Amino acid sequence: MTARDRILDAIRVALPQERPAPDAISAEAKALLADPDTSRPRLVAEGLFDAFILKAESIGTTIDRVGGMEAVPDAVRRYLSGHGLSLSLAVEPTPALTALDWTGLDTGTTLAPDQPAALGKALWGIAESGSLIVHSGADTPILLSFLPLHHIVVLQESDILSHLEDYAAQLADRPHPRNAILITGPSGTTDIEGSYVRGAHGPGFLHVILVASTD
Amino acid sequence: MSGAHAGAQAPFKDRATAALADKTLKIAIDRTTGNAERKRAAAVAAFPEFEAARARGKAIKDHVIAHLDHYLEQFERNATASGAKVHWAVDDAGARAIVTRICLEAKAKLVTRSKSMLGEEIGLPHALADAGIERVETDLAEHIIQLAGEKPSHIVWPAMHRTREQVAELFKTGHRPPPAAEDPATMVQSARRELRTKFLSADIGISGANFLVADTGATCTVTNEGNAELTTTPPRIHIVTAGIEKIVPSTVHAFALLRLLVRSATGGELTQYTTFHCGPKRPGDADGPEEMHIVLVDNGRTRMLADEFREMLRCIRCGACMNHCVVYRQIGGHAYGGTYPGPMGSVLTPVLDGLAGSRDLPNACTMNGRCAEVCPVGIPLPTLLRAWRIRSWREKLEPGALRVGISLWAMLAKRPALYRLASRTGVRAIRMFGKAGWISRLPLAGGWTAHRDMPRPKGRTFMEQYRAEQAKKGGRP
Amino acid sequence: MSGQPNPRVGLFVTCLVDAIRPGIGFSALQLLEEAGCRVEVPEAQTCCGQPALNSGDEKDAAALARQTIAAFEGFDYVVLPSGSCAGTIVHGYPELLANDPVWAPRARTLAAKTHEITGFLVDMMGFRPKGRRLAATATYHDSCAGLRELGIAAQPRALLADVEGLEMRGLEGNDVCCGFGGTFCVKYSDISNAIVTEKAEAIERTGADILLAGDLGCLMNMAGKLHRRGAKTRCFHTIEVLAGRADGPAIGEEG
Repeated sequence: MTARDRILDAIRVALPQERPAPDAISAEAKALLADPDTSRPRLVAEGLFDAFILKAESIGTTIDRVGGMEAVPDAVRRYLSGHGLSLSLAVEPTPALTALDWTGLDTGTTLAPDQPAALGKALWGIAESGSLIVHSGADTPILLSFLPLHHIVVLQESDILSHLEDYAAQLADRPHPRNAILITGPSGTTDIEGSYVRGAHGPGFLHVILVASTD
Repeated sequence: MSGAHAGAQAPFKDRATAALADKTLKIAIDRTTGNAERKRAAAVAAFPEFEAARARGKAIKDHVIAHLDHYLEQFERNATASGAKVHWAVDDAGARAIVTRICLEAKAKLVTRSKSMLGEEIGLPHALADAGIERVETDLAEHIIQLAGEKPSHIVWPAMHRTREQVAELFKTGHRPPPAAEDPATMVQSARRELRTKFLSADIGISGANFLVADTGATCTVTNEGNAELTTTPPRIHIVTAGIEKIVPSTVHAFALLRLLVRSATGGELTQYTTFHCGPKRPGDADGPEEMHIVLVDNGRTRMLADEFREMLRCIRCGACMNHCVVYRQIGGHAYGGTYPGPMGSVLTPVLDGLAGSRDLPNACTMNGRCAEVCPVGIPLPTLLRAWRIRSWREKLEPGALRVGISLWAMLAKRPALYRLASRTGVRAIRMFGKAGWISRLPLAGGWTAHRDMPRPKGRTFMEQYRAEQAKKGGRP
Repeated sequence: MSGQPNPRVGLFVTCLVDAIRPGIGFSALQLLEEAGCRVEVPEAQTCCGQPALNSGDEKDAAALARQTIAAFEGFDYVVLPSGSCAGTIVHGYPELLANDPVWAPRARTLAAKTHEITGFLVDMMGFRPKGRRLAATATYHDSCAGLRELGIAAQPRALLADVEGLEMRGLEGNDVCCGFGGTFCVKYSDISNAIVTEKAEAIERTGADILLAGDLGCLMNMAGKLHRRGAKTRCFHTIEVLAGRADGPAIGEEG
């Protein structure tokens, strides 16, 4: 008897003999999610946009707002200069970013060991928690979100979702990526005496460039 | 019996007494649990729907437990379809064997590990060492205790028993170059530098899972440091070890539990990184492991499903019960002696290591109920601890003196007339030991009078006085 | 409120009050009568069985549960000056006797009419003490079983608020266990001592003259520790103050 069979048998012995059909189980599971508003946090502001900003800033994310994608390189330059960093960074090879005019900035698609910053694009933002969503893919190396000390993320205002459930619905609508990641603030730890320190292994700085919707 | 704790240890009371004498330990415990308690309270206060969320979380876990076989098979199908290889382990030895075999077959020299209590439960650290594989713990706290050669003392903050000064000592010898200063920020930077090369040169990364998502086949980890992603992305192979109770029907169900987990554990709303891992690197993916293995571990869980400890399978390992436990806050985690400390550990350790060697744990509890009050999935921890006491009594594991004492007392209490006589005599006898209201030493009550005085009984019992008054009034006797 | 002006109440004084501090029993009797109850004290009462139950001796605990049920089930209500013993009847008995076809329903019926005294006075009788005076400062410890098993928190505070001259002071960690835990405090006396030491320190920090609580076990633990530490805090059961008996000796005082 395999370990698998032993475990499943032990479960079936412990549970009642009469078992519902898979459809009935699914229906029961779905019913457990009814009326989500009764058991999830309300947004901290009326609009998705304001709620996202409030929440993100409350967990240490910094935010810069720009009028359109073409303004992103300038915003990046502003951020790097503001932190006294060299104008050099890794840019995620996603067309929306590589298509921009990076004149005056030293950009590549891989992060050199001494390079402090990387730029990526979030698929969505979540107003409930101030989270950013990143999916792995051909254009989105996961390590670019974790290796740099400064992680800069472009997010379109129109991609801000209300709650975690709204993101789950988007996720369910497409093939599940190898990694689906919710980034909620800069990396941190409380492992030494419970005192909070930023930049444990991942980025110590998380900066969002929020791009106004063009339509 | 778990291989993880097969070694002989001092009896519980000796471990507890030693912990109580350690003033530095108490400082460390108070700092971390005090912070955790305050932050949780604030997070719950800021979430008026918490009670409703808790009821929902409990219902989700109960639903999964009632259909565990269904969901495990669904998870296996979907994980396999994503390209992951699913393994099953009946016990800790089986799980260790599977992980070790994968490492040896891959000729792995260096393994990075992201914190997983299940990994501790099955004794993975030792198994890797025995197989001659270098293991690097990447969670900062696990890194600290690896340097110290210790086991975790808390399920969320494994190194919470160490003060910053003690961590500085460890890093001074364990880091090259040593950190420049002893403040937490400098020490964290030093660990970041020290571990960075390990992340990038590891052959295999091992993680646990906070959730196994049945309808996608994904595993989910939550971390604040980002070490899970750095552990699971660069190496060629990613291995997940997870208990079979970690399953949830869908991503949305995972989110419902996540809201409870993080608030209860750290007082945050979400951890900095919540990551779903679904299979190995896809064709065209920029990075990721070429192989993903998922080891589903039973190790006593199906036994709990079959008996009075089923509700414990709801546990989502937030650690709130220990942060709010008066006993844990005095003795810390190591004194408990098992993988899991505190109230939840006192329920689980007898399952994992046997009741005979751990009967003290369910007894060393005042039954004050605070753990159940803060449990985000409504586990009746005191009831489960009492269930172990009942088993211990039934299996005659309780000490002889206690059994005799309780039986004698019960024999009297079951006979009211005799009891009246005994209590009348008893209080008069006890009075002889004290003066001016207090008794400072009393035979057979040394446990009490060693530390506190005993108020001297008034001399006549309530029932005596009441009957006398009734008789005087000519009322009913 | 119950809607019953003069209910027949069975008073279960509890074994500890019976032996150590009968005044608490007489305070209960007095307050219940002031509230309009017809009170009786059944002779067949001994102990609710909690020491057996918490030691894992379910057989003896069940025997004591049956004895207590038989002694008290004829009353409209059962009232106890202890949240811990009341909690045992309310939650422990139905659990303990759940598989007994004869006794399970009787346990549930008794549980439904069993109350801790301050909860009973406020919630069921709408009682408020009248003309009580005590010029003192006091702090209140929430005993765990009353607080978490029965929801006793607002009731004692509401009653104490009507005692003229009594100034209540907040206790840091008022809802944290004092380390008594029944047999726990002797079985694991070192751990219990560490817990009650912190409790005593918190009580001393309030600077209050008096410590109040609703369970004699917890009170003996805290009073015993305070006395050993040389603190001057006087300790009373809440209902002793409510019954106007706080001018008499406190726990551990002769008189």
